Amino acid sequence: MRQSLLILALVALPMTSAAGATEAKEIVRAAINHWRGLSSYSEMTMTIHRPDWERSMSMRAWTEGDDRSLVRITAPARDRGNGTLMDGNRMWTFSPKVNRVIKVPSSMMNQSWMGSDFSNKDVSRADDIIDQYEHTLISEKESDGHIVYEIESVPLEDAAVVWGKEMLTIRDDFVVLEHRFYDQDGLLVKALKSLDIGEMGGRVIAARQRMAKVETEDEWTEIRVDTVEYDIELADNLFTLSNLRNPRN
Amino acid sequence: MSITLRLAWRNLWRHPRRTWLTMGAMVFSNVLLVFMITLQIGMYGLMIENTLKVLTGHMQVQAKGYKDDMKMRQVVPDIRALSAKLRDALGLETVSARASAFALASSEERSFGIQVLGVEPRYEPLVSSLPGLVKAGRFLADIDAAEIVVGSVLARNLRIRVGDEITLLGSGRDGSFAAAIATVAGIFESGVTELDRSIAQVPLVFFQDVFFMDGAGHQIVLTATDLALVGAQQAAVAELLPDGDGLTVYDWDALQPGLRQAIQADISSAFFMYAILVILVAFSVLNTQLMSVLERTREFGIVMALGVSPGRLGRLVMLETGLMGLLGLLAGASLGALFTYYFTVNGFSYPGMDEMAKAFNLPAEFYPRVTLLTLTLGPLAVFVFALLSAVYPALRLHWLHPVEAMRAA
Repeated sequence: MRQSLLILALVALPMTSAAGATEAKEIVRAAINHWRGLSSYSEMTMTIHRPDWERSMSMRAWTEGDDRSLVRITAPARDRGNGTLMDGNRMWTFSPKVNRVIKVPSSMMNQSWMGSDFSNKDVSRADDIIDQYEHTLISEKESDGHIVYEIESVPLEDAAVVWGKEMLTIRDDFVVLEHRFYDQDGLLVKALKSLDIGEMGGRVIAARQRMAKVETEDEWTEIRVDTVEYDIELADNLFTLSNLRNPRN
Repeated sequence: MSITLRLAWRNLWRHPRRTWLTMGAMVFSNVLLVFMITLQIGMYGLMIENTLKVLTGHMQVQAKGYKDDMKMRQVVPDIRALSAKLRDALGLETVSARASAFALASSEERSFGIQVLGVEPRYEPLVSSLPGLVKAGRFLADIDAAEIVVGSVLARNLRIRVGDEITLLGSGRDGSFAAAIATVAGIFESGVTELDRSIAQVPLVFFQDVFFMDGAGHQIVLTATDLALVGAQQAAVAELLPDGDGLTVYDWDALQPGLRQAIQADISSAFFMYAILVILVAFSVLNTQLMSVLERTREFGIVMALGVSPGRLGRLVMLETGLMGLLGLLAGASLGALFTYYFTVNGFSYPGMDEMAKAFNLPAEFYPRVTLLTLTLGPLAVFVFALLSAVYPALRLHWLHPVEAMRAA
């Protein structure tokens, strides 16, 4: 009897953890789908804060599917017209000052995006986390009438990622409350926190998010969503280099 | 000449062969020490000068903290005026202003992240060796021209030549987009891959326009008339800096701490070798003097019985060693000087040194540095240790009983 119980436990153990992994992965996927939709158009304001200065930029962004996005700066005047196009792991940037489209080399992907606390990689491949990571559901908590999932995501061995692991806190309506990045030694490096959550474009989403390094709490970048529309029809040529260079919308 | 000195001199030549052999050991080690120390000091001088003259200079004026954080906003305001003021006040031409930024450099087909330096074309060649290393084209000329000088590896990576265009993309001082197109004026080749791959220079005013610097820069590089004068001139520069801008002046040691550490590490390992050499010679002297005292036990017994004090005999032994050491010192230092002089004229190199020299940005030949100190330091150490090693044989005489000594075989 005892022996059979043991065998049962041995068989059952991997099954439950596998089920946990699938569930965790589904939650992460749902959270990303929830944030991006099939397609989206949004207007955002990015504020870069430093102890001695602060700077805001307004931008418009389009996304389609998991891979494609286009961001265009609308203000301030000095930066107006600068754009970034992302297609999978590839990234291009356009500057009206030199009237050229430049491909951002992969060696630059960990550099800051537009001087913010986001890296190019943060911006371009938010959905890498689904397939290139292994997800484990750490805990489920009740809070404010929601269930909150805590998910640990560890990059697979061959993933081209600088992080040792990432921790996601996701609510049961698939709003990401917090996204923490740990280095290879397991130390917390930076965190993306959702400050305001509200209904926009027919969905409950994080309307204001702040990215800050742990070491320098008084240096942060906030992205505020001003308006957003989901699942809209986008022009075929939107995510092309020629559109990046000569905007048609 | 006192009688003790005369006795000592004569005693020394009672066994000429033994004295010559001991002295030979001293002379040999002295020549070796002189050569190695002068060469080493010469090499350090070159290492410092050659490393510093690439970009660092002897001193730099910077905003406090820029050295460690390298943030775009840690600036020296109105940098050209300040640099001109320093030039006038110090009576020194070798003062050049710089600004620095990280940027994406792109040609038609490729892009690489590089460090872009905005420099004063007129003064930069006086503080840096890079302008002199331009192999194709020329160095920058106008302070506001849209020109760029890049390293040879970067040029190869971007597949560009003199006359082609490079697009620079980065962030300005206020965080806004900085973008510009510059024509390649020249390509430098320093031989140091890291520099040739990741450094580009543009004229300072052009840099200030592109990166919205508003007249500011990041470093004023100064080269003192002599490395030894850095301390004094650093103080003079510090006096001239305007109050309230949070500016400070760093010397090369603060800017390149690795350099002094490398030299110190090298000195300690060399010191160990020298110590072994000196101690070996000291033991050889001890051996000789002990033998010469022991074989004279009977003789010493007789002169003590005649009333010579043990102290005087001890002085005699010390004097013998001193004379021998002095001869070794003079012969060693002069032979060493001659030997070294040959290399100060012709330079010194050994097979396989080219590679190492390249790594440390050194020339393929070293020139020993002959000064009174480098010439006499080693021989003096040998002399002192030889004297020390004669103390024991000399002290033994105090325990000598004349009667027993006279009976000794």
